[in-house]
Amino acid sequence: MRAAALGSGAVVVLGWPWAAPRYFVFLASLIAINAIVAIGLNLLTGYTNQLSFGHAGFLAIGAYAAAILTIRAPLVPLPVTLLAAGLVTAAVGLALGVPCLRLEGLYLAMATLAFGFVVVEAILNLDWLTRGNDGLRVPAARIGPWALTTDTSRYYVVVTVAALLILAARNITRTRTGRALLAVRESEIAAQASGVHLAAYKTLAFVVSAFYTGVAGGLFALVVGFLSPDSFDVFLSVDFVAMIIVGGLGSILGSVMGAAVITTLNDSLAGFQSYRPLVFGAILIVSMLFMPGGIASALHKIQPRQGDRA
Amino acid sequence: MITRSILLFLLVVALSVSRAAAEPGVSDTEIVIGGSNSFSGPLAYTGEQITKFGVDLYLRVVNDAGGIHGRKVRTIYYDDGYRPQDSVANTKKLVEQDGVFAIIIPQGSPPVVATLEYLEEHKVPMLFPYQSSPVTRARRYVFQGMTLSDRSSRMMIDYLAGPRKYKKFAALYQDDEYGKSFLAAFEKDLGRFGLKLTAAESVKRGVTDVSAQIAKLHAARPEVTFLVLVPGPAAQALRERQKIGWTDTLMVSTGPLTDEKYLALATDAANGVEGLSLWPDPATSDLQGVKLYRAYMVKYFPKNEPNRYSLAGYFAGMLFTEAAMRAGRNLTREALITALESIKGFESGILPPLTIGRDHETQKQGFWVRVEKGRFTPLTDWLKSE
Repeated sequence: MRAAALGSGAVVVLGWPWAAPRYFVFLASLIAINAIVAIGLNLLTGYTNQLSFGHAGFLAIGAYAAAILTIRAPLVPLPVTLLAAGLVTAAVGLALGVPCLRLEGLYLAMATLAFGFVVVEAILNLDWLTRGNDGLRVPAARIGPWALTTDTSRYYVVVTVAALLILAARNITRTRTGRALLAVRESEIAAQASGVHLAAYKTLAFVVSAFYTGVAGGLFALVVGFLSPDSFDVFLSVDFVAMIIVGGLGSILGSVMGAAVITTLNDSLAGFQSYRPLVFGAILIVSMLFMPGGIASALHKIQPRQGDRA
Repeated sequence: MITRSILLFLLVVALSVSRAAAEPGVSDTEIVIGGSNSFSGPLAYTGEQITKFGVDLYLRVVNDAGGIHGRKVRTIYYDDGYRPQDSVANTKKLVEQDGVFAIIIPQGSPPVVATLEYLEEHKVPMLFPYQSSPVTRARRYVFQGMTLSDRSSRMMIDYLAGPRKYKKFAALYQDDEYGKSFLAAFEKDLGRFGLKLTAAESVKRGVTDVSAQIAKLHAARPEVTFLVLVPGPAAQALRERQKIGWTDTLMVSTGPLTDEKYLALATDAANGVEGLSLWPDPATSDLQGVKLYRAYMVKYFPKNEPNRYSLAGYFAGMLFTEAAMRAGRNLTREALITALESIKGFESGILPPLTIGRDHETQKQGFWVRVEKGRFTPLTDWLKSE
C-alpha cells in the first residue's frame, strides 16, 4: 500500500510537466524549493526547538553564492554550484549557530531575525559583488551540453535535488542523530544526562539547516533568474515558519505539505491585491484552530496506520 | 489512493488542453491586459492608485463609450508586495494562465527588471513601467513610463546651473539604487558645467532621523541642496533645516519626490522648496486633460482624491487606448508596438505633445515649481531633456 502510494506520487511528480499547464510547472518548482527550506528549518525548529526567523537570510546567501559562481565561473557544473551554495551557507550557519547556543526561545528568535536584516544590509553594501539594489540577473545554468532554459528542465533539476534531500533528511531523523535531536527538543537536561552532547547537536542542527536552505537558495537563483535584496525580506522568513507550523513540527512529510500549502496560497491570493495579507492571515488562524499539530498530525489522526511519521 | 491520484492527473490533463486563440488576450469582444504591482508592502498606496484608480479609470471611460474597435478592455492585477520573485511568478501567471495581451504599469525597479528578460523572450509588450532606472530604455518590447532618472537630473542641472547660475551643489540621498542613480547622474551633468557636488550625505532606507546629515550639509554651505529621498525622510530633513535656522540654501526635491504627499508631511517647513514636477497639479491644473481626469474621478470614484499616481495610471491607460485604436480591429502585439512607435505629436491635454522615438520613452519633460502656501507654483514652462 505504502509502496503503491509512493509509486503513484513519483509518477505524478515526473509526469507533471507533461500534464500541467506551463505556469504550474514553475509553481511546482517553487513549492519544491520551499519544501527544502521547510525541511531544513524543521530540522532546526521541529527537532531541536530552536526557532529561527532568519532563514530568508540563509536563502539569500545560498542564492547569491550560486548566482555569483554561475556568473564568474560559467563552466562549473550545476551540481557543484549547488553544493558550493550549500557549503557556504552551512559555514555561515556554523558561525551563527555557535554564539546562538547561549540563546533560547524568544532571544534566539530575535538574534536570527537580526541575522536576516544583517544579510540584506550586507548584500546592499557589497555592491561590487552583488550589484546591490540594482539586482543580479542569473544566467541560465548548464548541465554538460544542456542549458537549462525552460521551466521544465529546471523543474526536473529541482525535484531531483529535493528528492535527494528528503531521503537524506529521513535518514538523519531515523538514526541516532535524529533521536538525539528529538531528545534535545523534549528536554535539554534529560538529553544531556543520557549522554547527548548538547552543544554539538544543537550546532549540527544549525549547520544542516543552513546547508539545506543554502542549496534551496541555489535552486531559487536558478528558477527565479533574478536576485535583489528585496527578494529576502523578513516576511519570507515568517512564511517559512508558517510552512512548518501549518505542515507540522518535527515531520518531513509535514514540511513538504506545509510548503505546498503556503506557496500555493500565497500565489492564488495574489489576485486579492490589497486584501492578500488579511485573507492569508485569516486562513492561517483558522488552520491553527482546527489543526493545531499541523497537517502531518491531522493526517495521523485520520489514517493512523498509513500516516506514520515520514 | 492510486485511482484518486490518477483521476487528479487526468483532470489536470483535461484542464491543460490549450485554447485556440489568434492573439493572446484578444477575443471578439474583449482585450485582457494586466500587471504585477504593489498592493501590499512599501509602495502599496502608489500601486493601488496607478492601477485601480488610474489605468482602470481611463479604461472605464473607454469601455462605457463602446470600447476599442468594439472590444471592451479588462484588467487583471496581482500583488507582488515589491518582491521580485513574486512579480516573476505573477507575470508568468498573467502570460501563461490568463493569457494577457500586454503587461501594463508594473511598479518598482527590482520587480520590473526581474521580469524584463522573460517578457522579451515571449515577445509580450511591457507598457509604461513605473520606475526610473534607465535599464528599460530603448528595448523593443518595452515602452517606458516614468521619466528616467538621468533625464530628470539633466533637466534639473541644466536649469539650476544654466539660467539660475548656481555654482555650489550638495545632496542628501537615499542609500540605494534610487539615490545612487541620481547621484551619479548629478555628478555627470554638473561635470558638463565644470562643477561637482560639494557635499553628499546618505540616508539609509527606513531611517527618519536625519539631523546629523543636515548639520554636516549645513557646514558645507551649499547654494543648492538636492533631496533625493522618499516622502518621510524628506519632510524630516525640511523640518530639521527649519529647526536649526538654515535659510541660505535652496532645497530642491528630485522628480519622483515632487508630489503632494511629502508637502503634506512637511507642512510649513516646505515653503520655498523647489523641484522638477513631472505632472501638472492633479488637483488644481486648468489643462483640459487634467480637468477631464478630475471629472471622471468624481464620476467613477467619488471617494478617491485626485493625485499624481492615479494621473500617471490614467495617462498610461490613455496611451494604451490610443495605440490599440491605431492598430485597428486586427490587434496583435506587433501591431501595437508599430502603433506606439507611430505616435507623433500626440495631444493628451495633460503633458506636452508626445512623440515616441527609438528610446521608447513616453515621458521626457518636466517643469520647475516652487512651494508656496502648501502648493506647487510653476516657475517655468516644460523643460527639455534632449
